[in-house]
Amino acid sequence: MRLLRASLFRLVLWALLLITMFPLLWVVLTSIKPADISQALPPVWHFHPTLANYRNVLGGNTYTSQSFSVLLIHSAVVTVAATSLGLAVGIPAAYSLARVKFRGKRFTANWILSTIMFPPAVSVVPVFIIASRLGMMDTFPVLIIPYAAFGLPMVIWMLRSYIRQIPFEIEEAALVDGASQAAILRHVVLPLLMPGIVAASLLSGMLAWNEFLFALTLTRSAAKTAPVGISEFTNMYGTQWGSLTAAATVTVAPILLATMILRRRLVEGMTFGAVK
Amino acid sequence: MTSATEFKGMAVAPGQQGTFPRRQGVQARARRLGWGLLAPALILLLVMTVLPTIYLVYFAFRHENLLGSGSHFVGFLNFQRVLTDPTVWWDLLSTLQFVVISVSLELGLGLLLALMLNKRLPETNLVTALFILPLGVAPVVSALVFRVLLDPAYGWVDFYLQSWGIIDQPIDFFGDPVWAWVAVIALDVWQWTPFCALILLAGLQGVPAEPKEAAMLDGASNLRLFWHIVLPLLRPFLAIALVLRAIEAFKTFASIFVLTGGGPGNSTEVINLDLYRVALQDFDIGAASALGICFLLVLAVVMQQLLNVLGRNTDILED
Repeated sequence: MRLLRASLFRLVLWALLLITMFPLLWVVLTSIKPADISQALPPVWHFHPTLANYRNVLGGNTYTSQSFSVLLIHSAVVTVAATSLGLAVGIPAAYSLARVKFRGKRFTANWILSTIMFPPAVSVVPVFIIASRLGMMDTFPVLIIPYAAFGLPMVIWMLRSYIRQIPFEIEEAALVDGASQAAILRHVVLPLLMPGIVAASLLSGMLAWNEFLFALTLTRSAAKTAPVGISEFTNMYGTQWGSLTAAATVTVAPILLATMILRRRLVEGMTFGAVK
Repeated sequence: MTSATEFKGMAVAPGQQGTFPRRQGVQARARRLGWGLLAPALILLLVMTVLPTIYLVYFAFRHENLLGSGSHFVGFLNFQRVLTDPTVWWDLLSTLQFVVISVSLELGLGLLLALMLNKRLPETNLVTALFILPLGVAPVVSALVFRVLLDPAYGWVDFYLQSWGIIDQPIDFFGDPVWAWVAVIALDVWQWTPFCALILLAGLQGVPAEPKEAAMLDGASNLRLFWHIVLPLLRPFLAIALVLRAIEAFKTFASIFVLTGGGPGNSTEVINLDLYRVALQDFDIGAASALGICFLLVLAVVMQQLLNVLGRNTDILED
């Protein structure tokens, strides 16, 4: 009886998993189907897998104006830059909120958290106008700066909870040994903060890599990113299924891999140290 | 956090503390250090929130059309236009409906999933890692995939539902307002339930064994055990999941924009899509700015409530 219940439970669990994974499996399946059967109904389940779609998409052999690999490079540049910028300003800010005592700190911390509520759909209009006046349309900074800001409230709050968990005695000891404030931050706090930095980078990198609205609105070609490129495989003339799914697979895979590997770090960070 | 572990000042040699002018100096240094370390982050956030708001306020009182003729001051006309537009109220309602339904489904299903994943099985680790994958998928991609799969003419969902005899006629997911809502919410639930489950699972794994065992010895049923022991311990995690999801749900743009485009008609149009349409398709910057400001005011109230939820149920807001 017990055994039966246990195997029934597992059956349900795996069935649920299959349903959850289905959209992703469909993407991968369609991406390796030959072009002539990719849209066939009833769906063809037996076929010779092909990498032609990947070759076409990455080699720029599609109907779009730009090779998708160029867009992937744009995405990578923007993501790395936005994440680095977010960490560069976020780590000192988190340290200040966790360790330094001054008036107005609590208010500032809560204000920083509140900015997370500012919808990109609201800020995109002013940013669009500012960017065009400054002649910055279709450049990397016009994406990097907003993306860094989008992730910043979470980055700061996540890192603050990590810093609070570092025993202050360690820093005190370094202080007594005559280390400067900067040296303590760099050689004592930073190494101990690595798990937090990993979690914050993953979150902020995910936001930047997947962002759509700003990229759609503020870029044309020179800074266009992968999500916008994927959406262009479908238009009023129809959908290029093979290209779309191959591009989607290539774009989504690195994030999914990172999420799987760094799952525990991510939870740790998102629960703000509520997990002990 | 006790004050003993706070930085009251740097490099204070023993014996130098306590005298009044000295303390003042220490406080001033701490203040400079505190704000100095915060400054770059604050500048970045101000540039992306306060600066746009100033622009919005300025444009909201002007006739400003990127295509049309000259801009000029029009007083409250834009606000009047926005607030008397039934579409705006409908879209606000749609937004609230979207947030409430999606987030409650995600929390409920996320809790169930977390409870399932909390059972020790040989494959738990692998299954958990696979279950959480949707949260990493770019919303554009998941929306495109859902759009293709739900297409009445060539989508797999309608095809298999028909061939298995569950439905006679294909469901018109994007022509029927109710089914369009089902699609929009299904997409959000698919994408974000794993996120809630992940946070709640972390909470479940932190539930200590002793009270559970004690209650079990006292003959408590599984349901009572869950209600009286597990759920209270899970409260902070439910609060965190609720707040993070609600915030993101209010900001949702890409997935609805790609999946239904707000259609059919404007039945699934949320405020974010409305803003996009008015500003970047009609180029009516004045009206879009007025709408943006109204939306920000609504969100400020919501955010305050969400912070209260966090403050009451967790200690993460404590100084």
